[in-house]
Amino acid sequence: MTTDLFSLFTAPAKMVEAGLRIVNSTIGNGPADALNSAIDDLSSGLSSVFKAGLLTMNDVFTTVQSSLNSVMGQNGHQPPQGPPIDGPQEIDAAVSDFANRLARITRYTLWEASDVGMAFREALDAARISFRYVQVNDPRSLLFPLQLSLSLGSLLAQQGLRGLTAYDVVGAKSYPQFVADFFELFTDTPVYVGLEYRSLIAKYQRRLALTPGNDALRAELGHTQVKCGLYEEAVDNLLKAANNPAVRPDALHDAAVALHRVGRLEEAAKVGSESLRANKNNERARGWLWLTAHKMGSYPEFVPQSQRMELKVGFDRATVEFEDIAARIGLDKTSGGRGLAVFDYNNDGLLDVLIACAHGGCNLYRNNGDGTFTDVSVESGLDTAVNAFIVTVGDYNNDGYDDLFLTRLGFFPGEAQLYRNNGNGTFTDVTAQAGLKMWGPAFSASWVDYDLDGNLDLFVANNIGELFDRKIPNRLFHNNGDGTFIEVTRAAGLSTIWPTIGSAWGDYNDDGYPDLFLSNGAGQAQLYRNNGDGTFTDVSAKAGIVHSCFGSVCLWCDYDNDGLLDIVQFTWSDHENVLYTMRNGYGPPSGRPLRIYHNNGDGTFTMRGREIGLTGCWGTMSGNAGDFNNDGYLDLVLGNGSPRMDRLEPPILLESDGQKFRNITFAAGLPLSGKGHGSNMADLFGDGRLSVLVAAGGAYPGDLLTTRVFYPTRLPGNYLNVRLRGIRSNRSAIGARICLEAGGRKQYREISGGTNFGCLPFEQHFGLAGATKVDAIHVRWPSGLKQTFTGLPANDTVRFIEGQSAWERPYKR
Amino acid sequence: MSRLYWPLKSRPLGSFRNLRCSMPAAEIGQAIGSPVGGFQLPSINGEQVTLASILKGKRGAVVIFWSSFCSHCIHYDDFLNSFTRDHPELGLAVIASRDGEGLPHLRAIAAERNLKFPILHDAGGNIAATWFARQTPRAFLIDGTGVLLYRGAIDNFKYAKDPDFVPYLEPAIAEYLAGRPLSRVEVASFGCAVKSVYYELPKAL
Repeated sequence: MTTDLFSLFTAPAKMVEAGLRIVNSTIGNGPADALNSAIDDLSSGLSSVFKAGLLTMNDVFTTVQSSLNSVMGQNGHQPPQGPPIDGPQEIDAAVSDFANRLARITRYTLWEASDVGMAFREALDAARISFRYVQVNDPRSLLFPLQLSLSLGSLLAQQGLRGLTAYDVVGAKSYPQFVADFFELFTDTPVYVGLEYRSLIAKYQRRLALTPGNDALRAELGHTQVKCGLYEEAVDNLLKAANNPAVRPDALHDAAVALHRVGRLEEAAKVGSESLRANKNNERARGWLWLTAHKMGSYPEFVPQSQRMELKVGFDRATVEFEDIAARIGLDKTSGGRGLAVFDYNNDGLLDVLIACAHGGCNLYRNNGDGTFTDVSVESGLDTAVNAFIVTVGDYNNDGYDDLFLTRLGFFPGEAQLYRNNGNGTFTDVTAQAGLKMWGPAFSASWVDYDLDGNLDLFVANNIGELFDRKIPNRLFHNNGDGTFIEVTRAAGLSTIWPTIGSAWGDYNDDGYPDLFLSNGAGQAQLYRNNGDGTFTDVSAKAGIVHSCFGSVCLWCDYDNDGLLDIVQFTWSDHENVLYTMRNGYGPPSGRPLRIYHNNGDGTFTMRGREIGLTGCWGTMSGNAGDFNNDGYLDLVLGNGSPRMDRLEPPILLESDGQKFRNITFAAGLPLSGKGHGSNMADLFGDGRLSVLVAAGGAYPGDLLTTRVFYPTRLPGNYLNVRLRGIRSNRSAIGARICLEAGGRKQYREISGGTNFGCLPFEQHFGLAGATKVDAIHVRWPSGLKQTFTGLPANDTVRFIEGQSAWERPYKR
Repeated sequence: MSRLYWPLKSRPLGSFRNLRCSMPAAEIGQAIGSPVGGFQLPSINGEQVTLASILKGKRGAVVIFWSSFCSHCIHYDDFLNSFTRDHPELGLAVIASRDGEGLPHLRAIAAERNLKFPILHDAGGNIAATWFARQTPRAFLIDGTGVLLYRGAIDNFKYAKDPDFVPYLEPAIAEYLAGRPLSRVEVASFGCAVKSVYYELPKAL
């Protein structure tokens, strides 16, 4: 059994390696491109057939397995409530764990003849750990081989389905590199979150002491040291390894990354140039050399023209310019930035900021009202929430103070936590008493009152947790109104087989009930219509949401002010497509830029992309909408990147006039590099200028960056900020719809309970352009109450309370 | 137009001083401007070290929570090795609080990495908990009477040659020793968690 499984997982890795060699030798070759394109066309038809077959296989295996589990008196695969400290406790988890262990053995073994025996012993040890729960004395264990086959079958069916979908999206040419990158990322994650990289480095060093001439091993050691931030040591090893032509191009590229990061820029440029000379087709090396040159001021003379690149994107005319004020106001948190939420935790009217991160605890910054923030992480108790991922804000107990729900890691399982705001500046972890203990790869989460009972319910969207993993179900929890929750996922009919990255709630059909859009990773997006009776129907095909992409986060907004909620689906593109965009001003024809599903008003949507200016391919990890130029149309911010150490991708600003988007990023003064997770927009100072906040940093311990706050240098137009407080509706007024009339135009907003890393403030910022007064504001509360307010000023911040005709100013003067 | 604040550009950096949180210091522990709690811990050299002994004859001290497993801490080996030479007026205590870091392990690491700075062992992580140190490295600057002046990151994790390098602890030290008010009294810490459920899972390798 062990040997069979072992070869099953080593074979794909070797195929990937072989594929990479072929691709590397043909990139840029015309006939090869044509061949790849033909293969793409042919395979997309075939893959649909295969996908249908794999879906059926998965269903059959799962059903039989479920029956067998019943016979054996076992519960089968259930989402765990806590960390598996004693290892897997049932067959599906054990099979996945074993497969992932084999993948890591494959990855970290350097496959010389003498390594095979050691790897085999490691594989046996892995089997012992993964299947430790099996009690051989139990007669029911006689059925174990059958159980194992079925579990393996369903795992491979799901894995194959994801692999085929990813192949459809990225295409034949990019697929080997894509798989290699993901193989590296997923095998690395548990090693780095458990701080086992020290053992890994020691293992490489021990082996290197025995075979000092093993340059591939030395290069891998250097590659690992770069991820850990041990740049000087990495440079020594990588430059030594680069004497071997077989590993020279990659070793030099890694050395250039390390030299740049340690501040030895001239050397980084020289080594980067050598790296490109060794492999002229390495676009990542070209991109890194450009970044180094930018930091130096210009390309050094020794860099030939053929190795240079010019930035041709992000310079559309900007109507607003920004300056980075993070350090000045005290929000310059260095970390592997993650979720960033803006909310008023102490009800003083001022918007406060919470930043979650890898490599540290949450930081809560209290807005002092004088243009500065004070770090109250320790005082609030939120410093205990280490390694948090996304943060979403909502007043689940309707006590008037916003509470927090946070998840961990996203690409690896972790605990979620509910923090109750005690109203005195402190938060208490109430996860267990609320019935929300869970362990899974939750990527996004939202507060939503899906049944309009006035209590905020909770939706948690799960990705896959490891390389070989079954889809962990997305979960919907109903708020019982007494501080506890009960899971209703199955009854609601919200099951999906795709790994979900983004999830967003919005009422697309105007029936008052919030509907759900899922942006799935390797899979198709899905739209679930809320039937109003606690159940949901997947209406994706009928609605026209059938386009594949590598889905990232998503959100609902009315980008063209037609009164209908549209969907923005951000996408994640590989590094080569991003560099293509930077060099050409638009993404490659085969790329999948972000898209907007335009709401046609009849239950269907039309996908819009390049024709409305969404032409660039970016590795978007977070994104949000806000009218930062106050022209009355929602603009977009994209936080981009990937965990790779050689990918520092800038945040992107897309300015909209309601018809088209223009990329104004660099013209508006944003930096050329970054790695943005929580991207957000908020009027932090109540002055009508919408700041763009980006929590930056990566997953590897060496990849720390500092949070940026980009603040408009001038007020770009008039504005009105609107806040709501629900009474019969949930207190946060999540789901409320606002229509503002000013200057002869209408604008629409729906208050979101969180969609991704950057949890937008509940305060709705309306740009009024030149209008000096607001004619009317219409509010549709989740309770169904409709109110109209008139006689409102421009350039102010107002709050409406459900059922009250008078409005108030939340800022104390 | 409603402008609640004066222009940010006109705000001097020195205005960060004296920012205080609204919670009572007694509940917070190790609050800026309040006396820190003392400790008595064994060093890897065998002697018992107290905060008072570190402060004796000094104008203040720097206490850093640290871990041998933490790759962020390795970044500061040279900084810590030369700290006492560079700041003779200040005491230094480096406290290892993570589980699995006993004195023999710490001695072995100190020898392997040629660490010259004083490492104290906080068995069970009690002092880290009292000092609210959730990740390593986390630095505390205290004056000669034990009052906390600065807490947080040492710098922004970049190298001195990098144009984007920003130090935090060194400017705080320089300002304190020069008798000037501190520009920044707190900067968010980053690093490896002192306690994490991921350390308890079965090993990945």
